[in-house]
Amino acid sequence: MQSTIQSAKMFYILISIVAVSSLYFVVPSVIIAEETPTTFLTHTGLVIQTTGDVIDPIGYDGEALDFDPDKFMKEFDYGEVTVLDDGTVLREYYITARDDQIMEVSPGVFYNVWTFNDSVPGPTIRATEGDLVRIHFTNEGSKPHSLHFHGIHKAEMDGVFESIGTGGKFTYEFYAEPVGLHLYHCHVHPVEEHINHGLYGAYIVDPKEPREPADEFVFVLNGFDTDFDSENNFYAANTIPFYYQHHPIEINANQNIRAYVVNILEFDAVNNFHLHGTLFHHYPAGTDTVPSGYNDMLTMSQGDRQILEFNYKYPGLYMFHAHNTEFSEKGWVSSFLVKENTGNFDTQIEYDDII
Amino acid sequence: MTSSKPVLAISAIAPIVLLIIMIVFLLGPASSFLQFGVVLPEVSIEKIEFVENEIQATVRNTGPIDVDVVLADVNDRIQPAAIEPDTSLKRFETALVRIPFDWNEGQPYEIGVTISDGTRFAKGIDAAFPALEPNVDLFVFLGTIGFLIGVVPIMIGLLWYPFIKKLGKNTFNFFLAFTMGLLVFLGIDAVIEATEISENHLSSIFNGELLIATVVILSFLALYGIGKQLTKKIEFSKLSQGLAISLMIAIGIGFHNLGEGLAVGAAIALGEVALSTFLIIGFATHNTTEGLAIAAPLTKSKAKIFKMIGLGLIAGVPAIFGCWVGGFSFSPLFTLIFLAIGAGAIFQVVLSIFQYMKEKSDLLSNTSLFAGISAGLIVMYLTSVII
Repeated sequence: MQSTIQSAKMFYILISIVAVSSLYFVVPSVIIAEETPTTFLTHTGLVIQTTGDVIDPIGYDGEALDFDPDKFMKEFDYGEVTVLDDGTVLREYYITARDDQIMEVSPGVFYNVWTFNDSVPGPTIRATEGDLVRIHFTNEGSKPHSLHFHGIHKAEMDGVFESIGTGGKFTYEFYAEPVGLHLYHCHVHPVEEHINHGLYGAYIVDPKEPREPADEFVFVLNGFDTDFDSENNFYAANTIPFYYQHHPIEINANQNIRAYVVNILEFDAVNNFHLHGTLFHHYPAGTDTVPSGYNDMLTMSQGDRQILEFNYKYPGLYMFHAHNTEFSEKGWVSSFLVKENTGNFDTQIEYDDII
Repeated sequence: MTSSKPVLAISAIAPIVLLIIMIVFLLGPASSFLQFGVVLPEVSIEKIEFVENEIQATVRNTGPIDVDVVLADVNDRIQPAAIEPDTSLKRFETALVRIPFDWNEGQPYEIGVTISDGTRFAKGIDAAFPALEPNVDLFVFLGTIGFLIGVVPIMIGLLWYPFIKKLGKNTFNFFLAFTMGLLVFLGIDAVIEATEISENHLSSIFNGELLIATVVILSFLALYGIGKQLTKKIEFSKLSQGLAISLMIAIGIGFHNLGEGLAVGAAIALGEVALSTFLIIGFATHNTTEGLAIAAPLTKSKAKIFKMIGLGLIAGVPAIFGCWVGGFSFSPLFTLIFLAIGAGAIFQVVLSIFQYMKEKSDLLSNTSLFAGISAGLIVMYLTSVII
């Protein structure tokens, strides 16, 4: 009898230990709100006060990320220039592919990027029509990679059937033609994977007779599927979602602006580009001298690119973004901060310096 | 005997010491040896609440590694948000994600969070519903619901007492068996409901199904012990074994109603059910049979009216508490545990009734036993369809 009562007691003690210890899981950790709350205003005008962390990639004001879209949009690689005996300009470029880097693609989000010259997108290759383009390609990645340029060239320079293995080198050589805005990317199977990870870049062939002077920008429209469900988690112009939203691009009113827009977005069949406050003349692939239209909307499929020329009449803050709202709300939203024109056109490209 | 005590102690402790040494070895020198495979993070969104101009999601790190929540979205569209206390979540830790958002009532939403490796976790809500403010009105409202689905139907069911009392032995046995049928159904129902909660609200890390099985068996054993002692005490007075059985049934049903109340209160608070009059009617009809279950064993003894009311309250009032707790702070784990306790208790009660019937009737009428159990199950099924 005594032992039954004792064992019953033991049993109840056991039960109560289990019950009490289960509280650890049941009751959420107590939040001690001693610190003064910070006020947090969203871009939609809603205000909340929080003692916690603010996670806001749209109004991001933290430390700069690894990739600088401001630098990228105005950086052109003209190569190492030598003039050959017959007067042809030879431009030599060095591109190295890697696939082991981790990059912060959005504040706090770290993703394994595959890169040309440690950057996504790769460098913007720029040459003039008729130049001999020689690209010294090295694959320092763990997988085979290649360089496939759009444009006119010999089949063996197409970078499709000859993939370059780990540690391999290859020299691509072709004449820069035709005039226009093209692109390059890795063409190793599965191409979708190689592009989603970042192996692409813009390729500009300038006409021998230079285009009108303008303030020039490159916008590579891209995205990242960070959880590998064949849908993009992030969209952007130049890699970092919302970047030009919190860092508007400063331009002058009544100044010619030229934008080189390349769409390399994977998974979504169509991307688009909408400009606020003005309209642009656009040149598909930049190959024609006559604009195809005067519009504020561009619809682009994968690999499509357009040269846009426009200017702003009035100063102020103007958006440009994907009119496909899903893309813009996942990062492909940007803005121009148009300033009064001071008449100081020091941002123009000086073509004479290049050759 | 005394000399062997140290030996006894060593033989008890030695395996534990060896186990600790093995764990230390595995975590220390051998840890690199065991590093293979990919460790995947996991975050569960446990609760989503809609307050004025804001959506609040309670997230928990239910994976094997620490995570950082770096992004929030509504319907897969990135939104600025605040996260309290901070973005880093250790194992099992929870955080509140506050997303300023002008939501629309009655509209479905999917709330997602993305962690630092770019993986997104999401949870959908069928219809946005303003979070209930914890005030007196809500207190009274939830209490009333608990009273309507718990106490009232049981009291109504108890009113069958005079009718059952007048029945002959076989018919009485039928009704006891009928009660067993009701209870078996309730027990199964509770296990299923607990499993649903485990699937919908509890992350897999808690091993919901195994927890249900464990709690059901523990509760069965615990109440078996209590029941044994209770009947022993009552033996002296020879007053009524029936009352003891009824008390056990009332306690078992009480646990069940606590779990049910938690589930109903949570459903109200989370806006998962449109709480219609019809639903209340369904619950009430269903639970009336619980009153009958308590009344049946009492009929062979002299039961006083206040005792019966007391039993009814033991069985019914937990529903009110359940509604309060579930409505004000829903915990899927709590609800699951109480539903499982209720199930275990109920199965124990079924056993008690069976033993009681075996004792009382020398010739256990198989016909009335099987007919009763079957009838009980069928009636419960039919009333459950109404809900």
